[in-house]
Amino acid sequence: MRILNIQRMSTEDGPGLRTTLFAKGCPLRCAWCHNPESMAPFPEIEWLGERCIGCRTCIKVCPAGALAFGSEGLAIDRSTCDRCLLCTGACPARALEQRGEERAVSDLFGELIKDRAYFGEDGGITLSGGEIMALAEEAAELLRMLKEHGIGTAVDTCGYCRQEDFEHVLPWTDIVLYDLKIADSDRHRRWTGVGNSRILANFEYIADRRKALGLTLWIRTPVIPGATDREDNIRALARLIAGRADRWELLAFNNLGRDKYKRLGRTWPFAETPLMTKERMETLVGIAHDVGCTCAQFTGMTALES
Amino acid sequence: MSEPKYTDCIKKPGSLSPRVKWLRDYYFQGTARRWNNEYCAYTNGTPWDVQFDEITYFIVPETYAFLKPFVASCRQSAQKVAIPDDFFDQSIPERKAWFTKEVVTRHLPVEILPHDLLCGAQFNVQYSMCLNRKEQMRRNRLVSRAREAVFFLHNHGYGNCGATSGHLIPDYAKILRHGFRKELEALEARYDSLSAEEKNGRKGGVLRAMMTACLMPKELAAKYADTCERLAAKETDAGRKEELLKMAANMRVVPWNGAENFYQAVQSLWFTHMLIMADEKYPGPGVSFGRLDQYLYHYYKKSVDEGMTEDEMKDILGCFWFHCNTAYDAQMRVGGNQGITAGFGQLFCLSGLGKDGADMTNELTYLLLDVIDDMSPILEPKPNVRLHRHSPDRLMDKVVDMLSASQGAPFLLNFDDRSIAGMLLQGERSGASSLIREDNAFEYAPVGCLENTMVGNDRSGTVDNNLNLLKAMELVYGNGCDMLPFRDPMTGKTSKIKQEGPRTGTLAELDTWEKFFDAYAEQTRFIIRKMVETYEMSESIRAAYNPTPYLSILVKGCAEKGLDITQGGAELSYTTMEGVTFATTVDSLLAVKYLVYDEKECTLEELVAALKADWKGYEILQSKALHRAPKYGRDDTESDLFAQKVMALWSDEVWKYKTQSTNRQFRPGMLSWNYWIGSGYVLKASANGRNENQFLSNAICPSNGADLNGPTANSNSVGTALGGRREDGTPVNVLPNGASHTITFNTSLLRSPGHKAKLKSFLRGYAENGGTALQINMLDPAVLREAQAHPGDYRHLLVRVTGYNAYFTSIGRELQDEIIARESHLRY
Repeated sequence: MRILNIQRMSTEDGPGLRTTLFAKGCPLRCAWCHNPESMAPFPEIEWLGERCIGCRTCIKVCPAGALAFGSEGLAIDRSTCDRCLLCTGACPARALEQRGEERAVSDLFGELIKDRAYFGEDGGITLSGGEIMALAEEAAELLRMLKEHGIGTAVDTCGYCRQEDFEHVLPWTDIVLYDLKIADSDRHRRWTGVGNSRILANFEYIADRRKALGLTLWIRTPVIPGATDREDNIRALARLIAGRADRWELLAFNNLGRDKYKRLGRTWPFAETPLMTKERMETLVGIAHDVGCTCAQFTGMTALES
Repeated sequence: MSEPKYTDCIKKPGSLSPRVKWLRDYYFQGTARRWNNEYCAYTNGTPWDVQFDEITYFIVPETYAFLKPFVASCRQSAQKVAIPDDFFDQSIPERKAWFTKEVVTRHLPVEILPHDLLCGAQFNVQYSMCLNRKEQMRRNRLVSRAREAVFFLHNHGYGNCGATSGHLIPDYAKILRHGFRKELEALEARYDSLSAEEKNGRKGGVLRAMMTACLMPKELAAKYADTCERLAAKETDAGRKEELLKMAANMRVVPWNGAENFYQAVQSLWFTHMLIMADEKYPGPGVSFGRLDQYLYHYYKKSVDEGMTEDEMKDILGCFWFHCNTAYDAQMRVGGNQGITAGFGQLFCLSGLGKDGADMTNELTYLLLDVIDDMSPILEPKPNVRLHRHSPDRLMDKVVDMLSASQGAPFLLNFDDRSIAGMLLQGERSGASSLIREDNAFEYAPVGCLENTMVGNDRSGTVDNNLNLLKAMELVYGNGCDMLPFRDPMTGKTSKIKQEGPRTGTLAELDTWEKFFDAYAEQTRFIIRKMVETYEMSESIRAAYNPTPYLSILVKGCAEKGLDITQGGAELSYTTMEGVTFATTVDSLLAVKYLVYDEKECTLEELVAALKADWKGYEILQSKALHRAPKYGRDDTESDLFAQKVMALWSDEVWKYKTQSTNRQFRPGMLSWNYWIGSGYVLKASANGRNENQFLSNAICPSNGADLNGPTANSNSVGTALGGRREDGTPVNVLPNGASHTITFNTSLLRSPGHKAKLKSFLRGYAENGGTALQINMLDPAVLREAQAHPGDYRHLLVRVTGYNAYFTSIGRELQDEIIARESHLRY
């Protein structure tokens, strides 16, 4: 299974204390994504400057000659790098980190259950991403093993996958954290690279079956200035969601991803975008409530009021 | 934290009555107070007399330079107390009992503080050793030799040791129940049953001394009663007059007789406790109260039934809190901060398991938690809450609420399941299974901070011996010699390297990992033996010359055996060896295995050369040691099982020893107080990548920055190192004394009620998987600034905002500042 990492004692990926597995690779290209290291399906390298001791070991071991020290630290020529990962294996300080690895499902299972004593009644495992549904078969196998050991499960997804993928996964899932970003398909395509018809259809599919399957359904919408935060968008999403989910979380944009883009050698259009104000988030929640979507609430980082 | 913008984050005291507020404020006036509890010194007037007992400070290296000045200043300031003509004809315990009683009841000022509801104010004393010239000279010689041996241990990085006062839980409950009167009756009966020969011998002397000591609280209480009555006669305020008469009436009952209500019980407890600090000439450290909410409950219930209100009880307890803090007055002009250098640890504990797995939380538990909440921040008495897998939700909620309100625990948490497993193991390993059993081990309580002991019959001797496990590795590198010569920081003199430990092989001979580990094991056995031998010096001095007959009354076994507690009289008599530098040692061993034997990154000779050079010129190797070698604390099964093996090795060895002079059993623990800081400057660079002068690992905690998988993984590692679980799921704990574990949490864990529930579920998980004791710190702006300044120690500090996931130290300075600013604004 292609994973980015496992985070223990997560408090942000569903109810209770959880261990979250982040899959590597995502079919969407959301312009605002704050975990850009999770997009590509293959392993990538990242250089963490504050860890580097300047020993040049990486440059010496690189067979492709893709590494060199430049004015802003280690420059990685990603067009010549063939991702052999010799550098990350050799870096004495782990300043070069490999992002993404292939792990066996049975091996992952062993690691995921290490914290079961802390899960209590509400917590458990969340499979997230990247996009976990892109690995639906392996995810289903892993979820089945977890359920059979009596562990609570959650799946955090953008919903862009085949319906049969959900058919595999849902029987072993207690909670679905489902992203709905933009109601209008063209605008959705413009901001994420794909249209939303499949996403909306899968949402319908899950919402219709949630009672029968005993699922808890949380919808999550990143509120991104200029992209998803338009009032008409929130209103349209609210109409879709009203009465069909247990909770709707409006996640305030945060700007913490900017160094990650820099490290991956990419530019980020949201690097200088200010945070949402608390007032604005409250207005949007109010709009949702007005159209009868009372399960809406906001979370995340808002601008400081000084 | 001098910047005022952080003040919002600092916990402020809660709702205090005007009386308690006055006393608390008065306490914090420090040296500006008109009244204080500074040491008063008393001599028997002989030219050879000594008052200050430096042995009890052998475990505090920071004081080494001051030991002689302390001795001298006490001698200079000591007031003369006339002794009877036949004084030196009596046994030493009798002289000691008489002199203490004389000082406490006739010389020490008896005063009542404004608004105070409790009698018993001044108790910090330094007084005569009560030895004749020959005895004193001999003691001086022995102390001088012991001092030299202890300084050697410290200077050469072995650690420190010394027969230390305090650090036990006396049987206060029996005094509350029936007073000293009944103790005296029992002692008299026991004495009468002795043969004439026994009466003339050691036993007779010890029992007579204890009988004299029984009268000390009685006579002092009478003086306090007189004082209260005198003040009442002059008092114009009718309310205060009534209070003073009530105090006098209480003193006419307790602690000579049993307490009749809650007020008297608290009064009796304070009075009895305070006199131990006088008897031992040792204010505070580790003289602990045990299960306060259990043995006071009977009196609480009775007083509630008689109509006493919660506010009245809080008023009495507030006075009790005030008095406990005055212990620090002893040396209030030494150093800054009113002489508060570290928490003394007059510890009490709350809640916990009872018979047949019952939870013992009661209404008094909650009342005491309220008082802690209202009084904090304040250091004494120090609270510890005992949790277990089935602690009630109401208690867990209260604990989490208090944690979230104070940016750091207002109390320590003890975990019963693993702690009790340790007590039972202690019973087995020391042949005391009849005294520590399934049906009474739950009555254990922690001393000082978290050092588990049985109550009322156990001289646990926690912190008597503090062993740097890492020293064994230095001796391996030097084939039994120090790795580098010791240079005296005062004189600049360098001493010659000598063969100290066994020859375990030259570096070239240690050509396999197995040979290296065997050498490590042999040097570990050596450093333990060396410390045991050094400890014996001060233990035997105390046994011969420094009895504490009053304390002996309060510890079961002393009267029965006719042995003072300092002579090994306690029914359960242990002395604890605390393992220091555990994770640094485990990680260093793992690094040697990884670098030298598995990956062959360097030879052992090269590694030792790097350590001698403090890694200068070996930065790449150091980086590999730090960041590529495996480490303890990540819930990595192989490394943690290795940690378990290292733990078993040294802790098994400790059980092999008993003190010669007093037959006290050595037992292992892991408190490591502040030694992990100080010893960092003595021990050289270590193979885990640590530089000389950097902190060592703290108690059972993973090394700084090593726990890259977060608090749950860290806790699982700790549980594994302590022995994990048996196949049937029951916990194992090879450190019966307990193990100090500190975790820092991100404050975001407390931002909503839902998040608080998550912390609760962490604590329940810890009860199952973690260690014996936990100190929780909340990640406050100061810690984040520390992380900015020393990113290496905080490489794995995560920032989570909903789906966002990143290392704090890897995000840009600007964003770090923003997060810090945000944390500074949070109020809980």
